[in-house]
Amino acid sequence: MKYLKNSWQSRTFTVLLVSIVVSVLLVTLEQTQWAEQINQQGYSHSGGGDGQRNISTILMYVLPFVKEFILIGIPLGLALLVMKLITGLKFLVSRNKKG
Amino acid sequence: MSDWKENLHKTRYVMDVLLLFSFMLISAPQSTGIAAHEWLSLFFVVPLVIHLLLHWDWIKKSFLRLFTRIQGKERFSIIWNYLLYLLMLTVFVSGFLVSVALLPALNIDLNIQGFWSKIHHDSATLIMPMLGVHLALYWSWIVKLSKQMLKKKVQV
Ligand code: HEM
Ligand code: HEM
Repeated sequence: MKYLKNSWQSRTFTVLLVSIVVSVLLVTLEQTQWAEQINQQGYSHSGGGDGQRNISTILMYVLPFVKEFILIGIPLGLALLVMKLITGLKFLVSRNKKG
Repeated sequence: MSDWKENLHKTRYVMDVLLLFSFMLISAPQSTGIAAHEWLSLFFVVPLVIHLLLHWDWIKKSFLRLFTRIQGKERFSIIWNYLLYLLMLTVFVSGFLVSVALLPALNIDLNIQGFWSKIHHDSATLIMPMLGVHLALYWSWIVKLSKQMLKKKVQV
């Protein structure tokens, strides 16, 4: 906790201030052509269209978390794989250079 | 386990676990219900700010480090963390602008735009894979600390 208490008030203030300024800038996105176009088309959830999916109540609570595990886990695994490949390649290159 | 408050890495670890749990909870509004989703998201600011406070040195130094000779991985993670921050703010901002429970409870009326609904849905979906890569970048630290924390538990 002692690390957290280190001048936390001024730091929290800074983080919040910067975040609020950036957020206000983000809100101005609604004035863009892009936003106007989406508003005109109207937006509705693509998944909820049929509204008659027959899934059990338990699944209804569990599936959102399954989705999260997949959407977080697979990129995590892929990124680890890419990093391993880069390390491996670097090793090969440096070994070849040496001789 | 009891000494975690005295050790920076262990403090980070405990707070990171909390952060991940709360993130996963608020990313499942279909399970929690929309009203709980909105209030929980508001409180999510606390673990998020703590996460940033525990990396204050990084915040101060990261930008200038981009202009020095650093490894590709560090350069990537600095830019990735900036993007993650921006996206997180986008999720928050758009979330407030499509609020159906929190803002009305505070007597703030707003006209919900299709644009912000789409942005909230898209950014909240995109932030999950971004978080996956964020975690991958610190994977060796996560594994090391997990082992340390577990070892301590057995001894106590
Ligand atoms: C939402 C869930 C998030 C989780 C679960 C998470 C988790 C982690 C973990 C496990 C680490 C490495 C361990 C550590 O040093 O604490 C880390 C580091 C870091 N995270 Fe996050 N993080 C999240 C969101 C964010 C966001 C939104 C930002 C915004 C900028 C951010 C910025 C950082 C920084 C700056 C570091 C340290 C980088 C370094 O020292 O090189 N994190 N995070
Ligand atoms: C880090 C913060 C947040 C995350 C990760 C997040 C994530 C999500 C996700 C994944 C959905 C489901 C979207 C879909 O499948 O269409 C959702 C819906 C929703 N969120 Fe958030 N949210 C956050 C913050 C907020 C905040 C602060 C509010 C309001 C105060 C909010 C209000 C809503 C509402 C009203 C919906 C339902 C409307 C819709 O589905 O378009 N969210 N959020």
